Amino acid sequence: MSRRSALADRLRRPAILLSAPALIVLIGAGLIPLVLIAFWSFWSFDPATYWIKPEFTFDSYRALLGTGRLPVFVRTTGLAALAAALCTVLAFPASAIIGMMSGPRRATVLLALFTIPFFTSALIRAFAWRLVLGRTGIVNHALVGLGIVDQPVEWLLFSDFAVTIGMVAAYLPFAVVPMVLVLARIEPSVIRASQDLGAGFWTTLRRIVLPLAMPGVFAGFLFVFVVALGTSTEIQLLGGAGESSISIMINDIMRVVNFPLAFAVATTVVVVLAAIVILADRILGLSRMFEDLGA
Amino acid sequence: MTQETLLSSSAPLALTRRQLMQRTALGAGALAVGGLGLPRTARAAGEINFWASATLDIGDGWKTFTKDSGVGVAFTDNGNDPGPVVAKLAAGNANDVFDVGGLQGGSEKELAKQRLIAPWDIGKIPNYASVWQWAKDIPYLTYEGQTYAIPTVINADSMIALEDKVGKVDSYGVIFDPKLKGKTAMEDAWINSAIFTAIYLKNSENAKIGEPGNLTPDELGVVMEFLIKHKKDGQFRTFWSGWEQGVQLVANQEVYVMTGWEPIVYAARQRGINAYYAVPREGYEGWGNNTVLLKGAVDRGLSETAHTFANALLAGYYGCKLGELRGYVVPTDNNVAYAAAHPDAFDAKKVKDLGEHVKAKFAGKVYWQNTRPDNFQLYEQWWQKLRNA
Repeated sequence: MSRRSALADRLRRPAILLSAPALIVLIGAGLIPLVLIAFWSFWSFDPATYWIKPEFTFDSYRALLGTGRLPVFVRTTGLAALAAALCTVLAFPASAIIGMMSGPRRATVLLALFTIPFFTSALIRAFAWRLVLGRTGIVNHALVGLGIVDQPVEWLLFSDFAVTIGMVAAYLPFAVVPMVLVLARIEPSVIRASQDLGAGFWTTLRRIVLPLAMPGVFAGFLFVFVVALGTSTEIQLLGGAGESSISIMINDIMRVVNFPLAFAVATTVVVVLAAIVILADRILGLSRMFEDLGA
Repeated sequence: MTQETLLSSSAPLALTRRQLMQRTALGAGALAVGGLGLPRTARAAGEINFWASATLDIGDGWKTFTKDSGVGVAFTDNGNDPGPVVAKLAAGNANDVFDVGGLQGGSEKELAKQRLIAPWDIGKIPNYASVWQWAKDIPYLTYEGQTYAIPTVINADSMIALEDKVGKVDSYGVIFDPKLKGKTAMEDAWINSAIFTAIYLKNSENAKIGEPGNLTPDELGVVMEFLIKHKKDGQFRTFWSGWEQGVQLVANQEVYVMTGWEPIVYAARQRGINAYYAVPREGYEGWGNNTVLLKGAVDRGLSETAHTFANALLAGYYGCKLGELRGYVVPTDNNVAYAAAHPDAFDAKKVKDLGEHVKAKFAGKVYWQNTRPDNFQLYEQWWQKLRNA
C-alpha cells in the first residue's frame, strides 16, 4: 500500500463523520422531498377537498400535455439556454483574464466585482431594467434625443429581448466563477509549449485552452441555465403580456391547489435537468474537473 | 374522503404495506402543507389569532382596539392568495393555529361545506345591524341559511386612465380598442381580468353571460377566447401584478389605460400624472374581505371571544383606523359616529367622505369578485392558454 492511500484510509472515517451533517441535510431537505414530490405526482387530485387522493394515475402528466403547458417547458428551456449561452460567451474572456492573467489580489478584486449584482434583490434588479428600457426610459430617451428614432422603441421592454438582458445581467457571475476555477488550473507551461511549437493565439485557444476549460465552461453554462430555468422575476417584470415560465406555471397551479399537477411539473423539470447533466458528462466529460482531486 | 377522516377512520390494526405507505405519505404531505409559514403563537386568555390579508392589519392600532373591546389580537398575514389559504385550512394546520380568518370573498361556501369554518351567531354581534344592507347582500356570506362571513372591508374596482392620452372614458371597451394597441394592460390574475372582460362583454357586447363572477364553461370560453384574440393582436402592453408594478406602469406612462386599483391613481397623481379612476357604464368589480369564524376556534372554546372580536371590528374604531391607514371602508356608519365622538383621533368629515365615495360606487351596477368560481380549475387552464397565446 502506498503512503498516499494509507493516508487516505486514515482520513476516511473522520471525513465521513465531518460530512455526515451535510449529507443528512442534503438527503433530508433535498432528496426526500424530491422523491415524495415525484411519488405524489402520480396521485389524483380531489377538487372537493383540495387534497390529494392516494389513487395511482397519470392524469397530471396527461394534463401537462393536454392543456397547453408543454409549450411553456419548451419556451422556458429555450430562453434559459439562450441566457446561459450568452453568459458563457461573455464570461469566458473575463474568466480568462481573472484566472490566467491576474495575480491573486487582482483576481480576488475582479471576481468580487462580479458579485455586485447580488448586493440587491432580484426583484429590484429586474425592476430597474423597466426604468432603463421603458417607453420613457433612459435608452429610449437617448435614442429619441439623438434623433435615431422618432418614437420610443416599444420592443425594448416587455419582450424576450428585455427578459434576456435581465437574465444575462443577473446571472453572469454564475458562469464566471466555475470558468475562473478551471482556467486558473491550466499550467502556463502548457501554453508556452504550444507557442514554442509555433501555434498562434487562436490555435492555442482552440486546441489547448478550450478543451482543457470545457468542463468549467459547461459548468458555468449549466449553473446559469438551471437558475434561469427556475426564475420568474425577469419574465414577469420584463416579459410580454402574461408571459409564462415553468415557475409561473407552478404558481398558477398552486393558486388552484392542484398539488399533483404542480408536482408533475416539478418532477418533469428535475428529470429533464438530470438528463442534461448525464448527457453533458458523457459528451463533455464534466467529471474531468475533479480528476486530480482523488487518490 | 377528507384527510381527517382518512387518518382517523377505525382501520384494522394490521395495515398492508401499501396502506402504511399511503398513510405515511399523506401524513407527510399534511405536515408539509400545514407547516408552510404557520407560526404557533403562545395564546393569552381572551386573545384571538386573526389570520387575514396584510392590508387588514392596523399595527399599533390593535392596542386601542383591545382597550375598547377587551379582546387581544395576534395578527398573522395569510398572504391573501385564496388558493394557499384554502389549502392550509383544508389540508394544513391553519385551523389548529388561528381563530378568525379574513378572506377575499368567494371561498366561504366551499369552506362551510367542508365544515372548516363555523356559522356566526348574528345575535351575538349587535353591531352587525349597522352594516349597510347591500353589504349584507353579498352572495358569499351565507350557506344553507346560516351566516358564515361578516363583510369587513368593501370596495369596488374599475380602471385607471391617463386623461391627457385617452380623454374621459366610461367603458371597458377602451381597454380593447385597437387604437390603443400596446398601450393597455390588465391584471395578471384570472380572478380579476376574467370578470372585468365578462362585465364588458355582458353589458356592451350583449354576450350571453349570467354571472360575470361565476362563469359557466361556455361563458368562460367566450371570455377567454376574446382575451386571447386581443393578446395575439398585441393589444396589451403587459399583465401587471403588485402595487409597485401597477404604479410604475401608470406613472411612467407605459400604459394609457388599465384595469386596477384606485390607490394607484393617487400615487400617480403625486408624481404629476393626470390620471383618474373611470366610472364605467358596464359597472364595477366589487370585492369584499370577509371575516370568518374558523372551526378550530369553536373547538377550543373561543367562539364567544371570536364573536366579541367580530363585533369590535364593526364598532367604529377599526373602520376609522383602516380608512386612515389604507383608505379602506368597513361598511358601517359606526365609523362616522366613532370619529365624531373622538375628534382628537379622527376627522369625522374625512371618514364620512370616504364612506360616501364607496357608497356612490355601489349605487350603480356592481358584480362581485369571486375567488372560488364553480369552475375554478378551468379558469386556471384557460389562463395558461392565454399566457401561451
